[in-house]
Amino acid sequence: MKKLVYVLLSLVLVTGLFAGCGNAQNPAQEVAPGGEAAQEDAGEENSPADSAPAENPAPENKGTFTLFTWEGMFPQEVLDGFEQATGYKINYSVFDTDETMLTKLEVAKGGDYDLVIADDYIIETAIAQNLVQKIDKSKIANYANINSAFQGQFYDPTDEYTVPYGSGVQTIVYDPERVDFEITGYSDLWDERLADNIGIIANYRVINGMALKTLGRSYNTNDLAEIREAGDKLITIAPNIRLIKDDSLEAELLTGEIAAGVMYTSQVTMAKLENPNLKVVFPKEGIGFGIMAGFIPSNAPNSDAAHAFLNYILDAQNGAKCFENLGYYSTNAAADELINPDYKEFLTLPEDFEQDNMEMIGNISDEANELHSTIWVEFTAACGQ
Amino acid sequence: MKVKNRAAKSSLLMAMPMYVFTILFTFGPLIYMFALSFMRRQATWGVINEFYAGNYLRILEPVFSGVFAESFKLALITTFFVTLFGYPFGYFMAKLPPKHKNRAMLLMIVPFWTNSLMRLYGWIIIFRSNGILDSVLIALHLSEKPLRLLYTYPAVVVGMVYVLLPFMIYSVYSSAEKLDWSLVEAARDLGASKTYAFLTISLRLTMPGLLSGIILTFIPSMGLYFIADILGGNKVALVGSIIQEQLLRARDWPFAAALSVALMAATSLTLYLYRRITRSEDLEGLV
Repeated sequence: MKKLVYVLLSLVLVTGLFAGCGNAQNPAQEVAPGGEAAQEDAGEENSPADSAPAENPAPENKGTFTLFTWEGMFPQEVLDGFEQATGYKINYSVFDTDETMLTKLEVAKGGDYDLVIADDYIIETAIAQNLVQKIDKSKIANYANINSAFQGQFYDPTDEYTVPYGSGVQTIVYDPERVDFEITGYSDLWDERLADNIGIIANYRVINGMALKTLGRSYNTNDLAEIREAGDKLITIAPNIRLIKDDSLEAELLTGEIAAGVMYTSQVTMAKLENPNLKVVFPKEGIGFGIMAGFIPSNAPNSDAAHAFLNYILDAQNGAKCFENLGYYSTNAAADELINPDYKEFLTLPEDFEQDNMEMIGNISDEANELHSTIWVEFTAACGQ
Repeated sequence: MKVKNRAAKSSLLMAMPMYVFTILFTFGPLIYMFALSFMRRQATWGVINEFYAGNYLRILEPVFSGVFAESFKLALITTFFVTLFGYPFGYFMAKLPPKHKNRAMLLMIVPFWTNSLMRLYGWIIIFRSNGILDSVLIALHLSEKPLRLLYTYPAVVVGMVYVLLPFMIYSVYSSAEKLDWSLVEAARDLGASKTYAFLTISLRLTMPGLLSGIILTFIPSMGLYFIADILGGNKVALVGSIIQEQLLRARDWPFAAALSVALMAATSLTLYLYRRITRSEDLEGLV
């Protein structure tokens, strides 16, 4: 009897193993939140009047739209709304890193997926490898809603291939109750009053960039002497650094382990939601940012659907819902006004904002990148002293 | 003769899966890593397949050799404290009456049922500002304001010692349990003092356990970087953390591979020197 149980158990385990393999072979069918999950709560959450006109309650099925991006990029409400309004069925396929996405796209030779949303730097590579097709702006009525601050950037200088969807803007967050002076820029972080009280993310382009900015340089400089100079400057901030951490740095600010932080936009959003008294600073030396953008792969099976989807999320109302859910800066100027006032302050750029003061963090030369990573090791070692 | 041959054949056959497994999953990746360490990073990502020794030259830069020294230092400090606490623990545990011995053993094993990462998060709760330790110290009037112990070097050492202590205790214990106590009694009868008897008999005979305990602590502590990340706030630069950094952030796989090869070479060399110096042939629990 006992033996039988063991045999059965091991059978279950073995089949489990193979079941895992089987799924992975067909990337296009991995996850489909637009599928079962969507149908379940479509009835409760979504009042059809929101998204679909009353005279057209059930549009005919126009085929599948395969979206390839990170998990949780869109609220279910918007995905359901798109399906009802257009009749496309969403197949939501996920990747966890930009590099995985590019590999899969290379293997599929620019096919399989209709729309990909990924980070700026990898899009530059994808375009260079001819894996991206031009966007037909005539099919996107809402194209004008895009905030021009996020257009014409290095990965797509002429805006032919991409539509931005959310931006990470590098800001400083601090707790005014525990910092007794006003922080206005990166150079204030060197102040002695912040000794052992700053938390930073473990992203060397952002953190070394902070020193580059205080010296009035570009984030993307390939001049090794400039990077070296910034590195020497960065090391002098070490006594103020309490911790370097990528995951949930906002929790450390909320529990009082640190008084100020340089963190990712999504973390700033979470910190602000928890404690609205925190202050978010656009550093006076200049603002670094990254953009997530959507592009249509060169051999997308259903590029019409991709255009329709881009148009749908560029709509002001839908856009506002998306950014409230995403927690990144809105790249949709028309949506800005509709974003809930509770979030607006940290999801949109201020009106008097100087766009000239912004700079994207882009790809740099191998030597420059190598020097950055070497400086980073020196810096972390200095923080531990 | 024939029978013997058949037995040998069948045992080889039985061991086959083990060989295949080892070759596939140990030597395969090792060779891959070694080959990778002589390649170059491609501009965007991935590697260029051409011979390049620059990765190893880069390790010789003071920054990176400094990191190796830092890892070595932390491993030494950890091993020192683990020996300090672990040796007496294992030694006296072996002297307990059997009933208590089993209980002590069980108490040692229970924490292993929980993931070590979880247990380290427990230390965060203890160490954090206004955490358990601070509250106790303030309540006892031993300190006036939060000590801010989290994200400091001592916090990292506590975490390392905590995770590695059981390995020392087990190996000392298994050595001490085999110890023939009548030898100690004989020494005492012949006029040796307690200390002298311990130094000449007990310590000598538990040496294999102690030495293997040192290896079991030292080698892993060269690579355990996640403790320094969690309890040290990433501020102690260890080889393990730069390897991770190079893989995930700098996307320089060849350099990460070179660092891994160098780390393995360093630990193997330490192991070799250690065995030469201590002349330890038979290490408790190790080959």
